[in-house]
Amino acid sequence: MTITATEICVLTAALLACLMVGSLHLRVNLWLYSLSTLCIAAATATSALEHSEMGPIFIAILIALLKSVAIPKFFSWAIDKLHVQRDLGAMVTPPLAMHAAILLFALSFILTKEIPSPAGSVNGWFGAAGGISLVFTGLLLMLTRRLAISQIFGFLVIENGIYIFALTQTNGMPLIVEMGVLLDVLVGVMVSGLLLFKIQKSFEHIDVAQLTQLKEY
Amino acid sequence: MTSLYHWIFFLLSVALLPVLVLGTIRKTKARLQNRIGPPLWQPFYDLVKLAHKGETLSLTMCGVFRLSSIVVFADILVLAWLTPWLCFKPWAPEANIFMLVYLFALARMFTLLGSLDSGSAFGAFSASREATLGLLVEPAVLLALVALGIFFGSSDLRVIFSLSSVSTFVSSAIWIAAGLAIFFSSLVELSRMPVDDPTTHLELTMIHEAMILEASGRNLALIEFAHALKMCILFGLASQCFLRAIPQFSTFNIYAQAGLNIAGLLGLAMFVGLLESLTVKLQWRKVPEFIAYILSLSLIASFTAIGIGAIK
Repeated sequence: MTITATEICVLTAALLACLMVGSLHLRVNLWLYSLSTLCIAAATATSALEHSEMGPIFIAILIALLKSVAIPKFFSWAIDKLHVQRDLGAMVTPPLAMHAAILLFALSFILTKEIPSPAGSVNGWFGAAGGISLVFTGLLLMLTRRLAISQIFGFLVIENGIYIFALTQTNGMPLIVEMGVLLDVLVGVMVSGLLLFKIQKSFEHIDVAQLTQLKEY
Repeated sequence: MTSLYHWIFFLLSVALLPVLVLGTIRKTKARLQNRIGPPLWQPFYDLVKLAHKGETLSLTMCGVFRLSSIVVFADILVLAWLTPWLCFKPWAPEANIFMLVYLFALARMFTLLGSLDSGSAFGAFSASREATLGLLVEPAVLLALVALGIFFGSSDLRVIFSLSSVSTFVSSAIWIAAGLAIFFSSLVELSRMPVDDPTTHLELTMIHEAMILEASGRNLALIEFAHALKMCILFGLASQCFLRAIPQFSTFNIYAQAGLNIAGLLGLAMFVGLLESLTVKLQWRKVPEFIAYILSLSLIASFTAIGIGAIK
């Protein structure tokens, strides 16, 4: 049983995302997200080398610049503006949530074992497991957090998972589709950032647990 | 003939390395505080001084207090013989993972009994803390060792650390995860910095130092040496794990292996000194979280081992 470089990158990205669940500090979360996305960029690049194509290299550089540098920078700026340092956490304590994330990471290997990998793809099982695990981790992150900004982190992790799943289960997507997805993510982040500031302005907090209460002005 | 050399080197390192490791930690801390610090052999002089001092015993004590330090010392010596914390080790019988973990637990239990027997409030206080920590950290250590056991298909540490297996990327990853888990849980087990400050002057917050507060003279020397030897065993085990992660390690000759082994041990001691200078003690309520992080390292290691086993 050999393990390819792409699979190593994907599994590292999934594990780094699991660590995100374990910390309530927003900056630590951002650093881990940035590193995890860098691993995903590396996975894209190595998978391009395995298929001996040059197009995805461009995508890899774009992911590294946009998703692992620009988006964390934007959120770092937003954290400063919103004056929040750490999440409050909901329901379960972060270390226990991290144990759950690692359990789901293990579970995703069992879940994806039977997925038939397409002809010619080399990163079938482990890649799919990493992708599904990232989706689980993102969901867990969204479930166990109270601040709106952490919900966006969860969304970004899920997006990474979907991207990884598509990357490893196909023989390469068209360049234009990948660029479209990247643009969508960027716009999504910008819009959610705007929403964050809006919520902060009208409610004076960004705690989603309290957003269900009606407020009179 | 080689087995005789192994015995000599082993006995020498059991006698000298604990002192050296303690000295290294103190020297590192002193240098980081811009002090020259005590010489490396200062713990040895301390032990000699303690051995010549008289002993004071509280009136409420029964025999358990004196007995406990002897049992702990003997137990740690047996552990030093069984645990593969050094490359050059004389012949030893089977070192089962579970037996080793519970021999450590036996040492802990007798330390607790001794501190309860001393009848001081501080002793009982710290004994309850030590019991809590022991309860929490045991699954982390056990899972880390069991992960190695699953990967190598044996619960005997001699087989696991025998250098016969081929090294792959995955095996390196498991070795590193297990080594990190063992190292960080040894910090909890030895009540060192992120969990407890061994050099604080406040008995209320101490764990291990408050338990041995009533010990004096030879008794204290015995306990101190046993504690230092336990530190050596645990750090040595962790450094062995890290060295096994180097793919070419099994091809080195025995002298290089032994040198790297001792260098790794002292390197971990220096790292502990660095950690104790740079970090602050965790809040007591935060310690379970710290242990939970260690547990997640062990979980990663064991799941990887199970997964690889399933593929094979």
